[in-house]
This record gives sequence, structure tokens and C-alpha cells, in this order.
Amino acid sequence: MNIIVSILSLTFFAQVLRLFTPYFLGANAANFSERAGVINIAIEGFMITSALGYALFTYLTNNIFLGFVCAILVNLLFSLLYALFVIKLKINQIVAGVGFNLLMAGLAKFLIVFIFQSSSNTPRIPDLPNIPYIQDIPYVGEVLSDYIILFSFALIFISNFVLFKTKFGLRLRSAGENPEAGESLGIKIRLYKLYGVLICGFLSALGGIWLASNQNSFSDGMVAGRGYIALAAMIIGKWKPVNILFACIMFAFFEALEITFQISGTFIPSQIIQMLPYLITILVLIGFIGKTKPPASDGIPY
Amino acid sequence: MNAIEFKYITKRFGDLTANYNVSFAVRKNSVHCLIGENGAGKSTLMKILFGIYKPDSGIIKINNVEKSFDSPLDAIKSNIGMLHQHFMLIEDFTILENVILGSEVTIKYKIDFEWSEKTLNNFNDKYNLGLNLEQKISEISISEQQKVEILKLLYRNSEILIFDEPTAVLSPVEVKEFYKIIEKFKDEGKTIILITHKLHEVKEIADRVTVLRRGEVVYETEKENLDINILSRKIVGDVILKNDISKETVMINQEDSVIKLSNITLRKNGHDILNKLNLSLHNGEIYGVCGVEGNGQSELVDLIFGLEKKFSGYLEKNTNKISLVPDDRLKKGMIKEFTIGENLILKDKNKLNITKKYLTGLTDEVINNFDVRVPENSVIMKLLSGGNQQKVIFAREIELNNDVLIFSHPTRGVDINATAFIHSKIIEQRNAGKAVLLISSDLDELLSLSDKFGVIYKGTLVKEFSSELENIQNETMKNKLLEKIGKLMIGISVE
Amino acid sequence: MEFLLNKKLKANIVSISISVVLTFLITIILLLILGKNPVVVLGTMFGEVFGSGYGLGQTLFKATPLIICGCGLAICFHASIFNIGAEGQLNAGSFVISLVAFYFSGLPFILLFPLCLLSGFIVSGVFGLIPAIIKIKKGVSEVISTIMLNFIILALVNYLLIDFFAVKSTVRTEKISESFMIPKFSEYFQMFQGSSLNLTFVFALLLALFTYYLIYKTSFGYKLRAVGFNETASKYMGIKNNKIILLAFFIGSGITSFVGINFIMGYKGYYELGFSNNLGFTAIAVALLAKNNPIGVIFSALLFGILDYGGLAVNNIVPKEIMFVIQGIVILSILSVDKLVEKYYG
Repeated sequence: MNIIVSILSLTFFAQVLRLFTPYFLGANAANFSERAGVINIAIEGFMITSALGYALFTYLTNNIFLGFVCAILVNLLFSLLYALFVIKLKINQIVAGVGFNLLMAGLAKFLIVFIFQSSSNTPRIPDLPNIPYIQDIPYVGEVLSDYIILFSFALIFISNFVLFKTKFGLRLRSAGENPEAGESLGIKIRLYKLYGVLICGFLSALGGIWLASNQNSFSDGMVAGRGYIALAAMIIGKWKPVNILFACIMFAFFEALEITFQISGTFIPSQIIQMLPYLITILVLIGFIGKTKPPASDGIPY
Repeated sequence: MNAIEFKYITKRFGDLTANYNVSFAVRKNSVHCLIGENGAGKSTLMKILFGIYKPDSGIIKINNVEKSFDSPLDAIKSNIGMLHQHFMLIEDFTILENVILGSEVTIKYKIDFEWSEKTLNNFNDKYNLGLNLEQKISEISISEQQKVEILKLLYRNSEILIFDEPTAVLSPVEVKEFYKIIEKFKDEGKTIILITHKLHEVKEIADRVTVLRRGEVVYETEKENLDINILSRKIVGDVILKNDISKETVMINQEDSVIKLSNITLRKNGHDILNKLNLSLHNGEIYGVCGVEGNGQSELVDLIFGLEKKFSGYLEKNTNKISLVPDDRLKKGMIKEFTIGENLILKDKNKLNITKKYLTGLTDEVINNFDVRVPENSVIMKLLSGGNQQKVIFAREIELNNDVLIFSHPTRGVDINATAFIHSKIIEQRNAGKAVLLISSDLDELLSLSDKFGVIYKGTLVKEFSSELENIQNETMKNKLLEKIGKLMIGISVE
Repeated sequence: MEFLLNKKLKANIVSISISVVLTFLITIILLLILGKNPVVVLGTMFGEVFGSGYGLGQTLFKATPLIICGCGLAICFHASIFNIGAEGQLNAGSFVISLVAFYFSGLPFILLFPLCLLSGFIVSGVFGLIPAIIKIKKGVSEVISTIMLNFIILALVNYLLIDFFAVKSTVRTEKISESFMIPKFSEYFQMFQGSSLNLTFVFALLLALFTYYLIYKTSFGYKLRAVGFNETASKYMGIKNNKIILLAFFIGSGITSFVGINFIMGYKGYYELGFSNNLGFTAIAVALLAKNNPIGVIFSALLFGILDYGGLAVNNIVPKEIMFVIQGIVILSILSVDKLVEKYYG
């Protein structure tokens, strides 16, 4: 009974929204890249570097805004490097992704020890500011007044609009579907692939920043596979922003449930709930829950 | 006035000369047909015109002005449009999206879908295309896809239109519709270049015809002087029958076929790739199959070899020991990253301890017996010439000592010496009593090697020749036979 | 040596050498930026690693699981199978090895050891078969499925361990009998005193030789590589591609379980959550650096071992975590240098 009550509470709802945010940002990041035909399994690493970047630069400059901007710049630089590897040098995207993940996670591990002499986390940093007045609403105020959470709501519409209603989106998608066809019509395919990778870096940076801000620090392992869940959400969402939204809500719901169960104790082992997102993803891929089809030239160097 | 003028165009790819000194002119507001066999250089020439390739020498004039295109974009800007043989369409896009891609009209950032739809629907009505702009490419038929490509040309205001084998994928009714669209283009003053295999098509709509053979212009004629018999002979060229290869008579029992196909039909994506095909292979006999590429030859090979299993009809195999020299060496015939020896052992039964010495021994044997020229024993296949690669594949398949051998385009891209060698090996296998299936688009090769000979058209063996091959007495008889085969290959029935 | 003669191998050795040098250059620059003296750092590192039996022993000990896992992955990669799932696979197998060693304590070592190998191999192998089967039957890319399976397997092992097998209030299994522990090098050689290096290292070397033989000297190996190079051609050569892919996945994943031998039977005596510490991913880098040649895997695992132990050695000067960064740089250098060398060697 207690569990049902706590699930139906507004606190639980706010929790789901919080957990939803990094997933949705990561999934949209991955989606922009894959819509341009570039697989990026290093989303996890991108979220790590931006989370650290935000905490680090906020701490160093004592200025939240500068921390925010620097974190995004860090990710854009890594995105450029990634683009150099997979677009310019045409290195296998999976292998490059594994390499970037190793490098980025390693870099974060190293920097927190090197700069803060702590093997686990950075010192406390302040939150990003909230929108005044809204934050005073009980239960959900804190969530609804968070700029990044609000942006991720807006992202539902922005993603849809950019991908499906604009010239830019149409050309970006042609790069992921059939680059030869796009090229035959005079489109600079590789440039659009670069745009996709950069947008991916930007959105995943927002995800990382939000995580660090929400936790008031960066700690080793804090991204905890969220980058991979974001990829899973994108796949289950069939590369469509609206479906991705539902996939992310589902994953956030499971995670909130797991936390609730852990606190209140229940007969369902938390590990089983933990593995659900991944299990569902595999079942979706096998085709138990509808067919999924990635962009036709996804992952193929051009 | 000429819309296009080609002057002394030459284009080489490595050793291969795709176009040599090609010169001809296309009159403005006319339908100009460009015909020739596979590999005659038609597509290369058009790709040069469209800015995909640059010629090694020669110039192109558009409306009497010399032009040099660096990319398709330049060609598009000069109002040239091309309908590629392989459609350049995006499956997951709607028709509308496919058409406007690259030339979108926007209001602020948003694509002006309303205007685009109106504009495209105007063309749609005017040319009777009957397309539903909201449909995705994956949902529409091949002929509709072609109309989408045409719509792309219209949307971009192309004045010079290149069609690369547009009717190959169309049914007869659809072909008629297509002609109507072409007529309309002409009425509006557009210039059309049509690449095709189909001679009756040429007769119907061409204003002028140019024949390419082995990269050169060999014939040109106006509508008034058009004769299909002459054209088909010009396309095929003068075939010389070689009788220098000795074919021993092998006693064969006609009743005992090694492999027999009865009424075989193979459907793929709603098309009959093979259609009630009948064929039997006998020991000591070379069965030649000729036809324009894409009439079911490669599926026939897959089916006999055992890679294609979803067919109807009856396939009787009295042996499973089948060797295959596939049509595409690089893709199907070998691992190009492997050495000769490593390629040779891929068909071995499971073997442990494959030593360098063993591989070297195998390689030396093949190099000697099959006259393979290599810089060193352990060279990887990728670095050999086409002829030498083919010899290695031949060696591997022949050494298996199988009952049936399938040779698919065995001498494509192979030099003259290697060709002669390969031909002698094929005959050798026949004389040793093996059943041989030979698929080729080289009539010369087929006529000189085959004991029996079938023409394949749209997945059916439309006619079989056997005694005719032996009874050729003189030039006239040979030419008559060639003419007949040429017609059968393009779907004209003879009798 | 025979495997050095091939032209392709020459190109490989060139690109590997360049990328190792490049990595060192970047590391030196990095150290300079951080305000550390590269000579001191690198000197201390190599001094510690090669200066004492203990240091050498620890380096080899750290390299052991990387050799094992790298060999398993090399088999998969030769068939162009991107198995990103080693982390999960090796945990499942190692967990089972610890259970078998504990619950069959009545058996003599000579029987128990093969039983451990076999059970670990099968468990890890079966988890490798899942992505293989859905790849073949449903065309699902193994990349995504193995990533997902990592999380699933780790959660599953976590559940089984915590709820059923763990020693109370720990995250490890019961300790296996002392008599099942694999002898340490220090028992034979005084110089390795204190080091955890054990005979599993020899086992790993033998495994690398076996894997080399399997890949380069047997028909299976040739077919495996043929499928990896060109699936269409191998199909036309009568190779049963699906069978090869299943086998490669099964054997490759199965081998990863043997890393548990080093940790459980050679070191701690029990399975512990998190023991692998991303070993399954690091091994990908090890295999890539070695261009998937098992003999090369030995050397690239040694390099990673040097970095791993060397990190500890220089920890006073610069945090040991710098080695994670260097590992990342190694893999990115080999990837990029490879493409450039490829252009010269055609």
C-alpha cells in the first residue's frame, strides 16, 4: 500500500521528471548524430566530460555561467575531435566510440584526483539558478523552475521542428539516409554530418551539466550508464523525438520505481528493475514490440 | 542548333579505356538515343556530361558554349538533369521531401510545404504523373519511383534531360506511359538523351541514334534511315568464330542429366526473376547462357549452387559437387586480403596445422599449372591483375575435381592471353566429361565454346540452339544467327 | 619468426610503433602542461616496473587478464564481430568459476581446475551466443545488443550474488579452499616476493599461443577471417557464415571467463563485485593495439600492464589515474595512425 501511495505522489512525479531530463537530452543528442548517419556510442563519455567541465570551471571561476559555457565548449571540442576521427578519417564509428569513452572517463578520473586530490568527487558547487516564483510551488516547483528541464520539454518541439520542418533538418536526414542521393543534388553531406555530431556534443553537454548541477558536484561514476540508456531510448523511440520522449519517460519511471523500492523495501529485487530498460531494448530490437529501423546509412562512413 | 556537342572525349580508368575519341552532337529539342552493350561506355560518357567524372581529353559544348563541370551541382545549374539507372531516392522520405531536397524554398526557417506542394501538384497534373506527394518512397512501385525522379527534373527546370536505361524496370504498359511523358518534354522544347538496350524503343521515339561499342562511336543514323537489323549487328560487332580450340566428342547420354531444372520460378519483391525456366546440364557438355545482364542469370547461378532456396518448380541435382567461378571476382570470388595460398585452402575440409610450407607448395603448384604471374609467392590477391586473379580462382575450382562447373562471366576484365588460357581450361573440363554451365555476355566466347546455347530473357530461356552452332558454313549464315540472337536478347521473338 | 615476414604484418608493426611513440610524445606534452617533469615521471615508472622483481611481477600480474580477454576478443574481431560485451561475459563466467570452486571442494584440483575452466567457458560463451543468435536470426547489430547485455548480466550477477551467495554484508562470494589456489611465482622465484603474479600468467601465454594457432594455422581460423573480410565471398566459397559467427562468438566470449582464474584462484580466492573494473573495455583497446594478433596481444597487454602498475609507482608525483588517460590516447593513436599508414601501404 505504502508503495502505491508513494508512486502516486507528486514527489514521485517530480522524481520521474528529474530522472527523465538527462535521458532525454542524451537521447536527442544521439538522435541528431544518427539522423546524420554518425553513430556515437561515446554519449556516455560526452556526458562525463561536460559534467566534470561544469563542476570544474564553476569551481575555478566561481561563476556558474562561465562553468556552463566552458562545459559546452569542452564538449564541442571533443565533438570536433570525434568528427575528425569518424568523418574525416572514416574510422569505424563503434571502435572510435569505445576509444573516446575510455579516454573521456579516464580523463575525468584523473582530473578530479589531480585538481581536487579526491578520488571520488569535486567540492560542492552551487545549483544552476531556478526561475523565481515558480520554484515556490510546493512539490513540483523545484523541477518546473529548472531551466534545463524546461529546455528539455521545449526540445520535444524543437527536435521535431528542426528535423522535419526545416531545410537544415531535411538535408541532415538525407546524410543519414542516402548520402549519394543527397550529394547528387549538390548537398555537402560531410558538412551536415559534422553539424549532427556538434549538435550531439551540445545536447549531451546539457545532460552532463544538469547531472552535475543537480548533484552539486561531479563524482566518479555519476553518469552511471545514462549515456547507454539514452542510446537505448533513441532506438526504442525509433529515432523519432516524440517516441523517444515516451521511451525516456518509461526508463525514468523504472528508475524512480527502483529508488522507491530500495527505500521502502519490497519483494521485487531492485536489480531486476535495474535491468529492465536494457531487457526491453533487446526485446524491441528482436522485434517483439514493433519493428525498429535506423536511418538507412547509419554508421556507414561517407 | 545543337544542345550538346561532344568533341573527342577520351576517358581511361587505369588500363581500361571507357571512352575513346567520342564525338557527336545532340540537336536541340530532339530525342537522341545512345545505344550499345554493357560496358560500351554509355554511362561513363553521361557521367562526364553530368560532372561526375572529368574527361582525360576532349571538350563538351552546351548550347555552343564550352563547359567544364566539376560536380553535378554545376551541371544542375546549367539546367542539365539526369535520371540515374539506380534511382537516387531516399526510401524513408516522402515524395515531396525527395523532390525538394537540395532546392528547398523556405519562409524564415520553415520549409514552405504549401508552396512546394502546389508547385509539384501542378507538374503532377500537367504530366499525368498521378503521384501522391505524401507517400514515402518505400511505399510506392518502381515505376512511380521513376516518376519521382522525373518530378525532380521538372522541379529543377532541367532543359537537357539524360535518361539512363529508364525503361529497363518498366512493364510494357508503363513504357507506353513513359513515352508519352517524353513526347510532352519534346513538345515543350526540352532536349532528351536516352540510353537504352531496347531497339524497338529506339525505333519508336528516336530522332537520331548513336551506337557506342568498346568506348567508340561506331555508327550514327537519323530516324529516317533506321534499320533494326543493322543496329543490332552494330551493337554486337563482328564476331569471329574461332575454331582453334579442339573439342573432342564426348559420348553423352541425353537421358542422364546431372542437373535438371523444370519449371523453376523465383519471385523476389513481387517480380518473377526466374520464370518457368527449364534447363538441364549433361556430362561432357558446355551449356552457354547468353542474355542482357539482369535477366535472371545471377539468380540462376545462385539457385544451382545452392544459395537460393526459395523457389518453386523442380530442381533435380544428381550431385552436390559443384564448382563456381562467380561473376564478380572481387566481391564473390576471393578474399582479396588473403594470399594466393590462403585463397586456395578456403574450400578445404577442416584441417589443422596449416603451415607456411604447405601454403607455399600449393601456391607454387598453381603458379606453374595455371601460368599465374606473381611478383612473389606470398603476395596478396588484391595486388594481382584481373587475369591472374581469375586464374587463381579457376585453379581452386578446378582442382576440387567436382562434377559440375559453373563459369559466370569467366573472362570479364581479363586480358587476351589469360582469356585464351581460361577458354582452353574450360574446354579441358568439358573433354574430361564434366558438366559445364557457361554464363557470359560475350557472344564470341559463347558461340565458340558452347555445345548448347540458350538465350535468357526476363528469367526464361526463350530459345535453345544446339545444331545451329555446328552448321555455320559461311559469313551470311553466321550473321543471320547473330541477328537472331541479338533480337532474342532484347525480347523480340523470332521465327 | 614466421609471423614477422608478411607484408601486412610489417605495415601493422610500423603503425603500432608509430602510435606507441606518438602516445609517449603526447604523454610527455601532457606532463609538461601539468607542470611535471616527464623524465622524472617516466623514469620512476620504468624504474619501478623493471627495477625490482616485485614491480615486474605486479606488471605481469596486471597484464595476465588483459592477455586472456584480449585473445577472446581477437577471435571475435577477426570475424568482424564487434563484441562490446566482454565486461558482462567475463563477469558471468568468473562468478560461476568461483561458485564451482567453492561448492565442489571435495574434488581433487586436477579435476576441479578443468571443471572450473569448462563451466566458466560455457557460461560466458552462452552469454556470447545470445547476441550471435539475434544477429543471425533478426539482423540486430551485436554492438547494441552486447552493450545492453553488459548491464543485464551485471545486474543479474549482482542479484544472484547479493541475494544468494555473498558472504554476509560483503559483495563477495565465499573463499575457496586454500588447496585450490594456483601457485604464485614467488614460491619458485625469490625475486617475485610479495607479488601476486601466479601461474595463470603462464596459462595466459599458452592461451595466446593456442589462439594464434587457431586463427592462423587452422581451417577454422582461415574461414573465420574470410567471413570477417568478406561475407559475400565466403558464402560463395561454401563457408557456412552463420556457423562461423556462432562459433566465434561462443569461443571468443567463453575465453573471457578465464580472467576469473587469475583473480579467484590466483589472487583473492573469491569473486567480488566490480573486480573487473572495466577490464572488458580495456581489453578492446589491447586487442586493437595488437591488430588482433594474439602474439601481439601479449605485448600490448604488457604495455597496458606497465601503465597500470607504473601508475601506482608514480602516484606520489602524479595521480595514478593518468594511466587511464594514456590508455585512451593509445587507442585513439592506433586508430588514426592506422588510417594514415594504410594509405602508404595501399
